[in-house]
Amino acid sequence: MSVGVLVDVMLALALVGLSLRVVTGRALFRDMVLFILFGLVISLSWSRLGAPDLALAEAAIGAGLTGALMLMAYRRLVEGGAEDSPGRRRSFLALPVGVLSGALVAVIGFAALGVERVPGAAGTLVLEELPGTGLGNAVTGVLLVFRGLDTMLEMTVLLVALLGAWAVLGEARPGRLHQVDRDTPLVAALLTSVSPLTLLIAVHLLLAGTDSPGGAFQAGAVLTGCGVLLVLTGTLRPAVAAGLVTKLLVIAGLTAFVLIGAGALAFGRPTMALPGTWAVYLIETAMMLSIAVTMTLLFARSRGLYPERR
Amino acid sequence: MSWHEVVGLVLLVLGCAFYGAGTVGLLRFPDVFSRLHALTKADNQGLLLICAGLAVLARDARVAFLLAVIWLVGLLAASVSAHLIARHARHAGSSHASKPERP
Repeated sequence: MSVGVLVDVMLALALVGLSLRVVTGRALFRDMVLFILFGLVISLSWSRLGAPDLALAEAAIGAGLTGALMLMAYRRLVEGGAEDSPGRRRSFLALPVGVLSGALVAVIGFAALGVERVPGAAGTLVLEELPGTGLGNAVTGVLLVFRGLDTMLEMTVLLVALLGAWAVLGEARPGRLHQVDRDTPLVAALLTSVSPLTLLIAVHLLLAGTDSPGGAFQAGAVLTGCGVLLVLTGTLRPAVAAGLVTKLLVIAGLTAFVLIGAGALAFGRPTMALPGTWAVYLIETAMMLSIAVTMTLLFARSRGLYPERR
Repeated sequence: MSWHEVVGLVLLVLGCAFYGAGTVGLLRFPDVFSRLHALTKADNQGLLLICAGLAVLARDARVAFLLAVIWLVGLLAASVSAHLIARHARHAGSSHASKPERP
């Protein structure tokens, strides 16, 4: 048995074991930490499966941001006086749902095992046509050139999610976040060294995305990490209303997509036909900014953010 | 097996030993402070040894530089979070800090 197979088996066992522990665990906090760990193991599994784009996205979003959100929610629960380990309420739906889910997984698994290995027509076409787009990364090619409409609609979903959150928030004052104590110099030191580094990594991921793993979603998620850090340390404070810059940043991704995609019509080309690699860079940059600002606002539970005045 | 493979593997095994010791400390030590003590020191050393081992195995200046950056960023994150956890434990009082469950 080669080392690679050994690692794969260990990852598979870890995934099953962790998911069992998360579902059957009784202490909320421990389950959350295990779930974050679960995201990290999934990310490793994606990279073992040769999908580094997914691995990056899973590590940043699945483990990082979701983990931060869950820990925030936990803090609220505890401050609200909720018990950490409430008695497990048995739902009468648990057994049927479990059996049906198991059956679904089994059916999909059997179907996947029985499928003949033919190269998918769409995948082959993408790989054949990729050199014509000027992009080296097939994932970015699919996201922006071949299935641009899908990605544009994903940006729409993100925007709608933020608008929905704002609607639910109503006229309420932005949530007061529990902030890290600022009187220790280490936090400021962490910010001054980590923020520029995150920015660098985000821009690198964005630029690398055209030829190697990376892209707007991963870069946006990393930038969100920076935003979350700034919110948690109180450097960015939640505001009651969104400023003009915030609004522009939130719609930047969708706007760039729509303008360039529809602009193709004016030149007699099909909708969403991107005029060149510069358009890909432009749209990806706008998407990265929109993703980062939207998710940071969702995290901060606010309409806007303003820098702390010193 | 050439010399750099031997050196790299020895470094990797040593690094794993440090991680193992840190984890044993985390699981076995009684309170937050001694657990942090075990974890931060042993894990930082383990990370250094593993990064060094990988750099020796890779025999590439660029990879070695990137591994050094990874080590430094890991150090930064570990020290700041350990500091914050310790502060929180101290502010929360000794009764909370010596609770066996949550660090």
